[in-house]
Amino acid sequence: MTELAATPRDRYAAVGEEIIRIPLNYPNRLAWWICFGFALLLLLMFFISAGVLFWYGVGVWGNNIPVNWGIAISNYIWFLGIGHAGTLISAMFLLLHAHWRNSLNRFAEAMTLFAVVCAGLYPILHLGRPWFFYWIAPYPNTMTIWPQFKSPLTWDFFAVLTYLTVSLLFWYIGIVPDLAAVRDRARKRRQQVFYGIAALGWRGSAWHWARWRQSYRLTAAIAVPLVVSVHSEVSLLFAAGPIPGWASTVFPPYFVLGAAFSGFAVVSMIAILLRHALGLGDIVRERHLDLLGIFLLATGLMTAYGYWAEVFDALYSGGKQEIGTLLDRLTGIYAWSYWGAVVGNFLPLQLLWFRQVRTNPFLLFLIALSVTIGMWFERYMLLVTSLYRDWLVSSWGEYHASFWELSLFAGMLGVFLVPFLLFVRFLPVISSFEVKETLFEEERDA
Amino acid sequence: MANARQSRPAEIIRAGLKGKSGRSFWRSLDELAGTPAFRAYLEAEFPALAPGPFDVDRRALLKVMAASLALAGLTGCSGEADEAALPYVEAPEHVVPGRPKWYATAVTLAGFALPALGKTHVGRPVKLEGNPAHPATRGATDAFLQASLIGLYDPDRSQSPRHLGRPATWSALDAAMSSRMAEVERRRGEGFRLLTGAVTSPTLVRQIDALLQRWPEARWHALEPVNDDLAANATQRVFGRPLDRHLMLDQAELIVSLDDDILGPGPRQAVHGRRWSERRRAFQQGEGECRLFVAEPTPSITGSMAGDRFIASHSRIAALAQAVAHALGVETASAPELAERERGWIGRAVAALRARPGRALFTLGTHHDPETQALGLIVNERIGALGATLRFTEPVSLPADGLRSAEALAGDMAAGRVTTLAIIGANPAYAMPADVDFRAAMETVPFRLHAGLYYDETASLCHWHSPLAHELESWSDARAVDGTVSLIQPLIRPLYAVRPLHAVLGNISGKTASDLESVQATWRALWGDQLEVRWRDALVRGFVPESAAPFVTPTVAGRTVSPPDEPRTEGLTVVLRPDPTIWDGRFANNAWLQETPKPLTKVTWDNVILVSPQLAKHRGLANGDEVALTAGGRTITGPAWIHPGQETDTVALTLGYGRRRAGRVAEGLGYDAFAIRLRDSPWRLGGAAIRATGAKLEVASTQRHQAMDGFDFVRTVDASDFEAAKRGATPGQETGQPRPRQPTFYPPRQWDSPSWGMAIDLDLCIGCNACVVACVAENNVPVVGKSLVAQGREMHWLRVDLYHEGDPADPKSHFQPVPCMHCEQAPCEMGCPVNAAVHSFDGLNLQVYNRCVGTRTCSSYCPYKVRRFNWYDYTGDDPEPIRAMRNPDVTVRSRGVMEKCTYCVQRISEARIAAKIAGRPIRDGEVRTACQQACPTRAITFGDIIDDQSEVSRRKASPRNYSLLEEANTWPRTTYLARIETARSDEEGGME
Repeated sequence: MTELAATPRDRYAAVGEEIIRIPLNYPNRLAWWICFGFALLLLLMFFISAGVLFWYGVGVWGNNIPVNWGIAISNYIWFLGIGHAGTLISAMFLLLHAHWRNSLNRFAEAMTLFAVVCAGLYPILHLGRPWFFYWIAPYPNTMTIWPQFKSPLTWDFFAVLTYLTVSLLFWYIGIVPDLAAVRDRARKRRQQVFYGIAALGWRGSAWHWARWRQSYRLTAAIAVPLVVSVHSEVSLLFAAGPIPGWASTVFPPYFVLGAAFSGFAVVSMIAILLRHALGLGDIVRERHLDLLGIFLLATGLMTAYGYWAEVFDALYSGGKQEIGTLLDRLTGIYAWSYWGAVVGNFLPLQLLWFRQVRTNPFLLFLIALSVTIGMWFERYMLLVTSLYRDWLVSSWGEYHASFWELSLFAGMLGVFLVPFLLFVRFLPVISSFEVKETLFEEERDA
Repeated sequence: MANARQSRPAEIIRAGLKGKSGRSFWRSLDELAGTPAFRAYLEAEFPALAPGPFDVDRRALLKVMAASLALAGLTGCSGEADEAALPYVEAPEHVVPGRPKWYATAVTLAGFALPALGKTHVGRPVKLEGNPAHPATRGATDAFLQASLIGLYDPDRSQSPRHLGRPATWSALDAAMSSRMAEVERRRGEGFRLLTGAVTSPTLVRQIDALLQRWPEARWHALEPVNDDLAANATQRVFGRPLDRHLMLDQAELIVSLDDDILGPGPRQAVHGRRWSERRRAFQQGEGECRLFVAEPTPSITGSMAGDRFIASHSRIAALAQAVAHALGVETASAPELAERERGWIGRAVAALRARPGRALFTLGTHHDPETQALGLIVNERIGALGATLRFTEPVSLPADGLRSAEALAGDMAAGRVTTLAIIGANPAYAMPADVDFRAAMETVPFRLHAGLYYDETASLCHWHSPLAHELESWSDARAVDGTVSLIQPLIRPLYAVRPLHAVLGNISGKTASDLESVQATWRALWGDQLEVRWRDALVRGFVPESAAPFVTPTVAGRTVSPPDEPRTEGLTVVLRPDPTIWDGRFANNAWLQETPKPLTKVTWDNVILVSPQLAKHRGLANGDEVALTAGGRTITGPAWIHPGQETDTVALTLGYGRRRAGRVAEGLGYDAFAIRLRDSPWRLGGAAIRATGAKLEVASTQRHQAMDGFDFVRTVDASDFEAAKRGATPGQETGQPRPRQPTFYPPRQWDSPSWGMAIDLDLCIGCNACVVACVAENNVPVVGKSLVAQGREMHWLRVDLYHEGDPADPKSHFQPVPCMHCEQAPCEMGCPVNAAVHSFDGLNLQVYNRCVGTRTCSSYCPYKVRRFNWYDYTGDDPEPIRAMRNPDVTVRSRGVMEKCTYCVQRISEARIAAKIAGRPIRDGEVRTACQQACPTRAITFGDIIDDQSEVSRRKASPRNYSLLEEANTWPRTTYLARIETARSDEEGGME
């Protein structure tokens, strides 16, 4: 680790050096290659699974009537939810002047971006006729037919597309000054050209900074409401259906909070891994872990409220069907997913009341992992336990994910990991100029 | 022949053209194909599927099959001249593609005609419907009739003659037959035996009679595994001669049935269903009563319709009959010892019988001991049923000695008395009792001929196999259960190189006559000069008017009957039943019937070993556990299935599965119950034991949860409440009156006439599945197979839900057909992002297949789960004949789209177009959905709900009308009429 130099100027240089050196001269290449090779294998699995799916049809999955949707849709919600923490950290805390976010925002945004890509792929893959997925988009066509605007799926399409676009813009705008910094330090011709083009001719002039700040904050302002609206919309996929266990007004906030919760968990995991793998302990400090832990705890408790509200909802409604679904969740054949969610999400979480745990990277990582898995269970539980026993006793049926569904899930992790590892390897994973800004402000305040 | 086989067709054609030069034209391939060499080549090479269809993988087989179809035009059905064939060079004036033509015809089950109207499109039959003019069925159908269409197109049907299992030519078969029959002729038929199924066809009877007259030493045997032998024995005892009993259910205000499944599957279901429903409807309108008492060991359709069902073991039925007889004062009946519960039921039943002289009917299962059945006849005499609710005719089906004669044949064969055996349409190598070794006996016969639809177990044991034409592709005649003769006319030229039934008889007797000539010869003898007129009339009607067997009034000859005191045996009692969907196995290769859920178990593609809930609990058995059942020293294994309402120590089996050689559909399904059936006790086996093997078998059930769980999916009303409601009293919730609609987010629409709706009367539905199969046939619903059904991916647009209520040991069972509800506030329409689920102007909830992208949101949101998804491409690799069967008015759906009940929108469109052309509104009753048309009890009504004079509106105005899942606030257009229940305490002499 580079010792922080005495003078502020040296300190800025050291920060720049610590972050910018990574894309140009990557430390610990072997570990990266091992990870990347593994991710590539997963990606290959994605292509095989998608190929099998497209060739034979959705029948290769375990879906049926009544459980029309399975892992595909629960993963869609899960991946999209994970993305939300990225936006929350980058955009909302930017506007709130919470400068500690400067050490986290870049990779959190990258995580958002790739998670949204994964999420967006799932609804297309799950279609019966995926080659017509664009019919959900409003585009001028010879059939003179619009999408059906009452459908939550139509709005899903808008939501994911908007979210993807805004996340991409926000992330790219944010990285431009750092790309210029990498360009300026690059020695090899290839790197100079690549970073040169990617930096869009950034020279760091005052005009550049002024324009940049305008556009960055503007995009952030657009992104912040999306955190709430996108997952609220996604929740309507369930809440709008007249299915016991779904048709509940608590779903939008419940989903948004759950999304932020799972997102903070994944951000924590990535932060700890990167900090460890790339030696960024000076920049992603204990304080950041502490803050992440606090947010994880806070959003977790809010999500727990959602669980409680849901139970209350069912009992208060007094509906036989609603109570039946509640009992199915607590005691049915998918009770493992309910209790898996409760245990995974909320039990280890309680350790985060203690600062020692929050600042312990290893423990925080384990807790975050538990939450990530717990939230996966939750999405699965919400979907399957409502559908497998809906209104008519006669149409009850079980759903069991098939091999090709699970392999696609594994493959989808590859879709996430491959670009993320490339990002870690070739782009500045932390916003160096924003960290410097924080340093400056800290010193000024001091 | 050998040369011909080696040369390629092109060479033969070239040879045909050889020596012709310049302007010597050949006019058509037909002319070239007329060369004997080419014909021999085709016969030898194509129609036969060497080395047998069972060894070829499916795709290869399909290819060959497609080729054989394509070449069918060339082979011209192997020289069988067609009387009225005209080349289809220019379209005949009256054949308009797209406009169907209807022909009246019939198919048969157990020999009996199931009269039908066949709908054909450009010469292809696409749908069979009931014949409304038929005096017995009056348009009622059953699942067997509806499914015989796919039997016609079955690509696994035998398609060429065979010799010793290898494909042979017709000329070789004919040569072998003529030399053999010359020998038989010389010996005046000695050693010649003919084995058929039950026969009602006047032509076949005439042909066989002629044969037997010519060859006095020859014998005719019959094998009908499910038959009325014992009932005939009973009439023999009481009336001195065998008679057919006819249950006048339309006049019976009270029926007491002892283990007699009168509404259950079989050739009489349509007739009985129609008659019973007429009685029931009259009762609904306040005219008389319609009461049903049933005592039975294993649940049946009749039992589930009963107001007072009593669970009695098979062995107690005789005692119960005695008790009824004794209580009614039949002198010869002794008073048996009865248990407390039995006394209660008997008391109620007897009181009810006594109170309704001449209006009641007492029936006994035709599988019970003839003495017991005879006692039942005497009871009927006592209650004045004879000539009123119970009438008799001379036996309609021949030969009257049924199953027995095939057993005699086995004995004769074993004794070496048979030298030539001709089997037509029977399958003794499969369907004989286990203690009759027919197969081994058969091996001793020097010449064995089999004629059948399939190259089956029996065919493979015969020297010669002659493929039989399906009834829908040949001329014949047959009698319905009431004796009315239907002329069977072909709807299509034979699909394969097959021979019609009557031609096979000609083949045996050496008289070559076409099937049409044979049938006409029969009727010429009867009608003489009037043949032309009456023949035409009968063909148009579909039956010969006034040809029903006349009722006879037999005099009771003997009142001394002594029902055996069946000993209480240790262990379990096995009862055997025909399978409700594949009967005795003859429909085993019928994919529609295999995929049809059994009415009372909802199991498809399998027969199961039905055990009572108590026995299952005692033995720790769960559904699908493999059990070995041992009875009479023989063992079969199969999956256990818990049957609520079955007698504790009864195990029920169904026949028809475990086929060893039937076709690719039937392959490897179920256990063979014939393997434990005994000749002297074909329907019951005592002293059985079951043992779990520990294995778990996959059973594909379409409805794994049948307990109503306190919900009100099927509502019932008390008869007295219903009466009150009809008189205008404020209906309580329990009478099924709809609750007021809740507010909705989307504004309600205004509907113009016509706006379609459906009412399903649960008080009439007997769960027979005729509607389900009719829907499959009408709407090109694909068959998906056992494993996909097990995964919950069956495609049926209409299902019949089965619910049990109360104690599993003795529940009340209800059927509920569930098509699409066509909700006015349809959640599916809100959910679809691409406008594939939309509402039509006339109130239909439509699914636009070519717009559907397959998000399945509609199905997720559907509270009724009536939508079906094409998880795979189910239709793309359909064999050529199956494609030919498709209804051209209905889209064949591709992979990845959602489908569901459309209220038969194609029929609505057809009626609308016709009405528009005629400039009139669509008349009430003009549109009949496929399910409605098929229903034997007329439980389904369809029509315009805006017109308050329409039948459906009048039904919906009933106080019994209710919507399924009203709380979902979907405003369904399909509504139900609650079942009417008569409380037991209302019964005279009510005890419990």
